[in-house]
Amino acid sequence: MRHAFPWLLLPTVWGARNRARRRQRGDGLRAALFGAMGAFTFAAIFAVVLWLTLQLLDYEELGDYLVRLGLGWLFLTFLSFVAFSAVVTSLATFFLSEDLRLLLAAPVPRERLFYSRHLRTVVQSSWMVVAFVLPVLLAIGLARCATAGYYVTAVATVVPFVLIPSALGALATLLLVSVFPARRARDVLMLMGLGFAAALVLLLRFIRPERLLSVQSLPDVTAFFATLQSPVTPFLPSFWAGESLYAALRGGVDWLHLGCLWTSALAATVLARAAYDRHYFSAWSKAQEGRKARFTRLLWLERLLRRLPAAPSSRALLVKDLKVFLRDTSQWSQLLLLLALALVYVYNFRVLDLERIPYMSAVLKNAYAFVNLAMAAFVMSAVAVRFVFPAVSAEGAAFWIVRSAPVSVRRFLWSKFWTGFLPILVLSEALTIASNQMLGITPLLRVLAAGAIAFMTLALVGLACGMGARHPRFHAENLTQVAGSYGGVAFMVLAVAFILVVVGLLAWPASLYLWHQQTGFPLGRGRQALMLLSLLAAAALSVSIFRRSMAGGVRALEQLD
Amino acid sequence: MIRVENLVKTFGSFRAVDGVCLDVGEGEIHGFLGPNGAGKTTTIRVVAGLLKPDAGRVTIAGHDLAADPGAAKGALGFIPDRPFLYEKLTAAEFLRFHGGLYGLQTAEIEPRAQALLAEFDLVAWRDELVESFSHGMKQRLVMCAAFLHRPRAVLVDEPMVGLDPRGMILIKEIFRRMSREGVAILMSTHTLEVAQEMCDRISIILAGRIVACGTVDELRALAGTEDAPLTPAFLKLTGGAGFRESEP
Repeated sequence: MRHAFPWLLLPTVWGARNRARRRQRGDGLRAALFGAMGAFTFAAIFAVVLWLTLQLLDYEELGDYLVRLGLGWLFLTFLSFVAFSAVVTSLATFFLSEDLRLLLAAPVPRERLFYSRHLRTVVQSSWMVVAFVLPVLLAIGLARCATAGYYVTAVATVVPFVLIPSALGALATLLLVSVFPARRARDVLMLMGLGFAAALVLLLRFIRPERLLSVQSLPDVTAFFATLQSPVTPFLPSFWAGESLYAALRGGVDWLHLGCLWTSALAATVLARAAYDRHYFSAWSKAQEGRKARFTRLLWLERLLRRLPAAPSSRALLVKDLKVFLRDTSQWSQLLLLLALALVYVYNFRVLDLERIPYMSAVLKNAYAFVNLAMAAFVMSAVAVRFVFPAVSAEGAAFWIVRSAPVSVRRFLWSKFWTGFLPILVLSEALTIASNQMLGITPLLRVLAAGAIAFMTLALVGLACGMGARHPRFHAENLTQVAGSYGGVAFMVLAVAFILVVVGLLAWPASLYLWHQQTGFPLGRGRQALMLLSLLAAAALSVSIFRRSMAGGVRALEQLD
Repeated sequence: MIRVENLVKTFGSFRAVDGVCLDVGEGEIHGFLGPNGAGKTTTIRVVAGLLKPDAGRVTIAGHDLAADPGAAKGALGFIPDRPFLYEKLTAAEFLRFHGGLYGLQTAEIEPRAQALLAEFDLVAWRDELVESFSHGMKQRLVMCAAFLHRPRAVLVDEPMVGLDPRGMILIKEIFRRMSREGVAILMSTHTLEVAQEMCDRISIILAGRIVACGTVDELRALAGTEDAPLTPAFLKLTGGAGFRESEP
């Protein structure tokens, strides 16, 4: 007897079970950290939505209208998110997974394969949305003292709501793979997705939602709501979901919209199944065709780096790392998002209006300079954990080439360090100098911040490089996994501690100096010496962390078996 | 040219290599045989500088691998059993990279790489990404890289895996020519016909120890299977046709 489609999900379930049973070093720390972060995010979302909904209770009809509108918008956003996520996920589950060759070679009926893969797609593409929507709906229900019927409706709404975009996403993927080769389609999708995310970040920031909190801009609010109302159309599942939940909040049941959700979910699934039944095998075969992907030769890069006064082996490593990075869409495309975040970061300082607090503006600006320093360093840590920490692991199974070559691991690791350090230094200096310029802080702090961020970048990149060598994961499927591993999490914890200590060591002498300058009190010699010592301690700590991390990394690579 | 003295390598409590000694002279093709899990790949990896031995000494062209790894590795060409390469580099770029690692200048690498690509039938693919190569093509590219810096000794782990018959003939011809030019070749293989046809001497490893070493005729005599193919001698010397699999 042949097993039903959940049988095909057993490897995933067993794999997860085995991973849970065979704990690795650092699993407890990672679980505790991520668990705490998850619980904190859940609690924060719940608290904010609860507070907002309670505030809206005071406005009766307007409040009701805003809750209804809010639900519509929430589900509209999630609809696009799940649909896009489903396109990307189904590309992996239906066309790129390694186990598909085994399954397709086995006598597995096509519809069972479809249902098992589709279920994986639904879960993988929507779990994040469901995790986010849970505290939101819970908070709204509690604030509005909703009946048990509301919570039942919430489940009955969310399930078909995620099924519809998942099925449509799977259909879009089938079409996409029929046109492009699967791996090229993934690159196209990844670029589109990151472009979409970057545009969204920029758009949300540049419409300056904080203006709504300003009393002077109140006349704009009506226009703002009119704009908000426009995309909520009654033909989309997001509208049906919002209406069903709104009716349940008021103690009723909106059978029409619930019916729309369920029938559409079933229809979309049946449609996707029929399409996969008919076209999946030919699309799969197409995806297996040898690809002669187009790529940039980057000869200019090679010519440029050839002029570097370095040993041939160092140059070879540098050229290889840069070419591999620039040709891997999953790597360089993340720079787009990083660029958007950097722009938003600097823009925030441009719109920061500290002059509104006339007596405090000078003090606040200088205090902000240190917040800025810490923030810039946090951004650097995030960049370092994503791009520098996995640098050694990125060699993957090809690491034998370097290890069997007459190149010392010291030279290898230093090459990785320089490849990460120089671009990150440029980025961190640009961010710090530009944001401090916009803040308008005193020249002393500008120089201090520029110097400090250089030292901090040295330490953070060294720490990431060294820890990446001490905790390599050569068999990781992708580099994001490496960044999220035990070593990556440990790096982030150490980086945050380092940043806080250094900012503390810098803030104390700098604020003391500015206070004395403002009040005119003379600064004693003993205190001056202590201040200098504090600055030197910050520099020494940075250099020491850098040196020890790199030395530890070299040692770890030398002892690697 | 390749000398291994009393090599020991353990993984936890498992002794994978237990006092192995090998000596491959100039121009010699030395076969390294043994059942699965006998310690062949571990020995090869130690000699290639990929694993640190617990005891023993490895010298390549007179350079101690532990004391002077740069010089020892510089004299060696290594061809692993599985050709993992940088997928996002082209064949020509990979060879330029590899040459750079061995200290060759670009001007030196280009003509040599072109000649090797021609020899291994990869010229048409020189500017294609490695990710589009078949297993056999990757294997041939690894061989190009291994010979690029004109090594004095070559270490080969399962050279024929993934190669088509034409590729096999090509490799055999190249190894023979290199041997005539004085290059020492230590070759681990499961293909006994290849070992019988190519090797001047053969060492057989079992449970981490060398149990026999000599020419094909000497091994056959040792096993008492004169005039038969190498297979019966191999089975007899390694304890029969039983299946072993214990290497981590």
